[in-house]
Amino acid sequence: MDKVLAGRQILVVEDEMMVLWNIEAVLADLGCRDVAVAATCEQAIALIRDRRFDVAMLDVNLGGETSYAAADVLACNGVPFLFSTGYGAHGIDVRFVDRPVIGKPYRDADLAAMLVALLPSGTEVQVG
Amino acid sequence: MAEDPKQDAEQTAAVAEVDKFADALGPFVLAAQKTRMPMVFTNATVSGDPVVFANRAFHELTGFGDDEVCGTDFYDLMARGVGSDAVAQIREAFAGTADSEPEIKFKRSDGTEFCASLFISPVVAEDGTTLQHFISLADHTSDREKQSQCEMLIDELNHRVKNILSTVQSITRQALRGATDPATIRESIESRIFALSRSHDLLSHQNWEGADLREVVDAALEPFRGASGFAERFRIDGPAVRLPPKVTLALGIALHELATNAVKYGALSNDSGTVAIDWSIAAAPGGDRLRIFWQESGGPPVTPPDTRGFGSQILERGLAHELGGMVTLDYRRAGVVCSIDLAAPGKLMNG
Repeated sequence: MDKVLAGRQILVVEDEMMVLWNIEAVLADLGCRDVAVAATCEQAIALIRDRRFDVAMLDVNLGGETSYAAADVLACNGVPFLFSTGYGAHGIDVRFVDRPVIGKPYRDADLAAMLVALLPSGTEVQVG
Repeated sequence: MAEDPKQDAEQTAAVAEVDKFADALGPFVLAAQKTRMPMVFTNATVSGDPVVFANRAFHELTGFGDDEVCGTDFYDLMARGVGSDAVAQIREAFAGTADSEPEIKFKRSDGTEFCASLFISPVVAEDGTTLQHFISLADHTSDREKQSQCEMLIDELNHRVKNILSTVQSITRQALRGATDPATIRESIESRIFALSRSHDLLSHQNWEGADLREVVDAALEPFRGASGFAERFRIDGPAVRLPPKVTLALGIALHELATNAVKYGALSNDSGTVAIDWSIAAAPGGDRLRIFWQESGGPPVTPPDTRGFGSQILERGLAHELGGMVTLDYRRAGVVCSIDLAAPGKLMNG
């Protein structure tokens, strides 16, 4: 698989470890070695305030709470993001109607394509 | 109300009307008064359909007292606090032009809501004039509550099913990454799926409200103690601790990974090694902590692995991530020690 995410800073907000492992494996295959992970909105927001991310993906349901508060902070900071969910797009708050949604489970290639599409154009990262 | 002599006179007239009505119909009025179906009679010969009779069930459902109801236009009474859509529906129902009985969210006198269908039947004289409207209400409030609870459960079920499928995807990917021999790959996939399944069994037997830590340990170790014959080599000790579902699932798979490693490389890979699993609750400044120790001894001397496999990654990073606690996996020469430190349940509210 192409290392289309090499050198990118990616935030993954997901509370279930087994699901997270799959995402990390997919991202590693795509060349991303530096994945920041958060299991709660609070952790995610702390990370977003601390670092600059190229793109983020957020599970909608984090063990009872939604990830919307983190999504709002991302939107405020101009960081592109997508939602992952087991509910389908209908379950997501209307204020995120324009944000891409990937349904669980997903193919590696589909996740890769959606993440790449979110990256700002003209910001190619040099792969060393 | 007493300040308005006109209103007062109207109400007295209405009460007199009800008495007349009760005298004329005798036992039927008693039955109507006592039935559990909320019902109302209105005088259709007067514009606005003032209420001439409302039974006990109607008062109970709506919270309106007799003094508020009798003589009040039924339409006005029901239209209080409902939306404009509902007002139009009530109007249609009264005019007899509605296709079906409208189901409307009404407001009680105290402002709380109830959901009911309105059944309106005209009582018509021989000359065709409508004398009264007989109105009964079917209360659907508890049905609606049940329905919304059902919808919530279905949403939750979807979430869980999709996460389980993602988990299986993860397990498959890892099995294929680590091995080339089909039997090894199959064993790796199957054993993890069964470990998940046993944790789910535990939870489903208890309505997904949680499980006892001891049961979680027993379920995770079951294949190792049973068919594999290691029953005598585990020592398990700790107080009763109730774990929420999320922790149950995470610990179940973690203990499975530890046991798998012990059989392959650790204390269960020879004839005499043992594994001690114990836990305790300890008071700490930020709230009580649950500390779980997995301690192997008597196995072959341990050498730390060059690269950390999926199992140890699940343990150290994944488990800590999911539990919001600390997990350390220590490859001591005398035996692997894994310590898990998390907020004691009660603090762990997320299911």
